[in-house]
Amino acid sequence: MIAHQLSIFLENKPGRLEKVTAVLKDKGINIRAMTLATSTAGWGILNLIVDRPQEACRHLSETGHPAVLREIVVVRMADRPGALHDMLVLLANAGINVQNAYGTVLGDGQTAILIIDVEHTEHARQLFTAAGVATLTAEEVYCV
Amino acid sequence: MYWNPHIEQADLPTLRALQAQRLRDTIAHAERSPFYGALFAKCGISTDSIRSVEDIRRLPFTTKEDLRSHFPYGFLTVDKKDTVRLHCSSGTTGNPTVIFHNRHDLDSWSNLVARSLYCAGVRDTDVFQNICGYGLFTGGLGFQYGAERLGALVIPAAAGNTTRQIRLMQDFATTAVHTIPSYLFRLHTAFAEMGLDPARDTALRLFVIGAEPHTEEQRRRIEDLFGVKAFNSYGLSEMNGPGVAFECTCQNGLHVWEDCFLTEIVHPQTLEPVVEGEVGELVFTTLDRQAMPLVRYRTRDLTRFLPGTCPCGRNHRRIDRISGRTDDMFIVKGCNIFPMQIEKILMRFAQVGTDYLILLQTRNGVDEITIQVEMQAAWFTGDLAALEKLARQIVHEVRDEILVTPTVQLVEPGSLPKSEGKAVRVRDERQA
Ligand SMILES: [Zn+2]
Repeated sequence: MIAHQLSIFLENKPGRLEKVTAVLKDKGINIRAMTLATSTAGWGILNLIVDRPQEACRHLSETGHPAVLREIVVVRMADRPGALHDMLVLLANAGINVQNAYGTVLGDGQTAILIIDVEHTEHARQLFTAAGVATLTAEEVYCV
Repeated sequence: MYWNPHIEQADLPTLRALQAQRLRDTIAHAERSPFYGALFAKCGISTDSIRSVEDIRRLPFTTKEDLRSHFPYGFLTVDKKDTVRLHCSSGTTGNPTVIFHNRHDLDSWSNLVARSLYCAGVRDTDVFQNICGYGLFTGGLGFQYGAERLGALVIPAAAGNTTRQIRLMQDFATTAVHTIPSYLFRLHTAFAEMGLDPARDTALRLFVIGAEPHTEEQRRRIEDLFGVKAFNSYGLSEMNGPGVAFECTCQNGLHVWEDCFLTEIVHPQTLEPVVEGEVGELVFTTLDRQAMPLVRYRTRDLTRFLPGTCPCGRNHRRIDRISGRTDDMFIVKGCNIFPMQIEKILMRFAQVGTDYLILLQTRNGVDEITIQVEMQAAWFTGDLAALEKLARQIVHEVRDEILVTPTVQLVEPGSLPKSEGKAVRVRDERQA
């Protein structure tokens, strides 16, 4: 299964983030990773990796938060200098625009992963596979 | 084609000459009232002051406050026994305003409404359902008399009871409806709830809408929902009510009936005429009212004259739909701005709602304008770049319209203060 991140529209105001986390907490949804991309004009997009994204998205929408699921590509980061750079070059050479990329550590506390938000996820996945970089499944990302 | 062909098709010199003659008559009537008698004496004005319509500028303005402070009989030019009807406003603050009519006035008004309806395409074969308040409100009796004069079959349906309205439409095969635009949206929902399609299950072919500010986009939406043409009506109780200006079948602005209303558009602060085509405050002088003529009455409604001539052949000038009230206007960096101008732009973007808030603030001694607009959840894709592009586009189009660069803030759906009756559209937090 293809992994998804949860993207939520958020006003840059005190208490907004807490409103979102309160909904998730209420439903027992676990947040694995989080980034906040903000615009200068006072709003932003909160990107979350959670254990039950479909459910989370539904609850957030029902409580009035504009939320969508975005397909992502997740790869295991090799533990060597320049590993991140190599992967980004791979995408750049293929003309794939990276909207957002952020790292986190899987549940084992050992494996570093890179979450990449690109427009053409399938194309990116094929590139990584061809280059011998394994992409992670949804189950691996959400639950490990 | 025309209800009053000689008047509607009159060439401009004829129309102006008629206006000048009627203006003199109006002054002669008006000076018999306590209010204008005293005012004209003080300003040294008589019928001799008027040689052409341009001389209107020598006359003083009349305001709503004048009407209020001379309530009820201060503007009456005839004996009370010669009046036959009055309409008055609710007067939520202070005295109400009241307008008296004699027989001539009611006859003239009915003719204007008949002319207006005819101009929008209503005929004596139509079944005309008048969905608006009767009683003191002028839209009820005004359209009733006008549509009867035209010869249509009129259903005095009055306001409310949507199920009964739909029933009436079906029982009597209503073809034309007059109502306020917001009611048509409610009506459409009711049709849907009853499993009816107005295009299939009614004989509707024409709407007349007015008495409530609305945008061109809202009109088009109404037309799309019902598959029915909607024509804009403009009037105000001080100028009788409906029948002051009306759209013809070209739908390109509202012809003001200049034989009955001498029309000016002035700058709301300087009271000088605006450059032709610029937005300003509408000012009317009645030209065919005897019991209670009004001279240079400031409507507080904002609009502009539309340039050019209308293909329909009427020489009566056209005004744009009302773009707001002088009370709503605000000034930023020397530009006069009306909330409706901004609303008009926002309606072009499906990604944002029509709820918005205009914030005026002072930053480093400079006035700044911020527009907060609600993001529509259905259009959210999680793409920050797309949202930034959207905000830039809104900034760009608003700047082209108001000539000041705003900041556009997208906010969460439902987070802006909701209107209770009148919407909160502008919050002025500037230091004086
Ligand atoms: Zn026309």
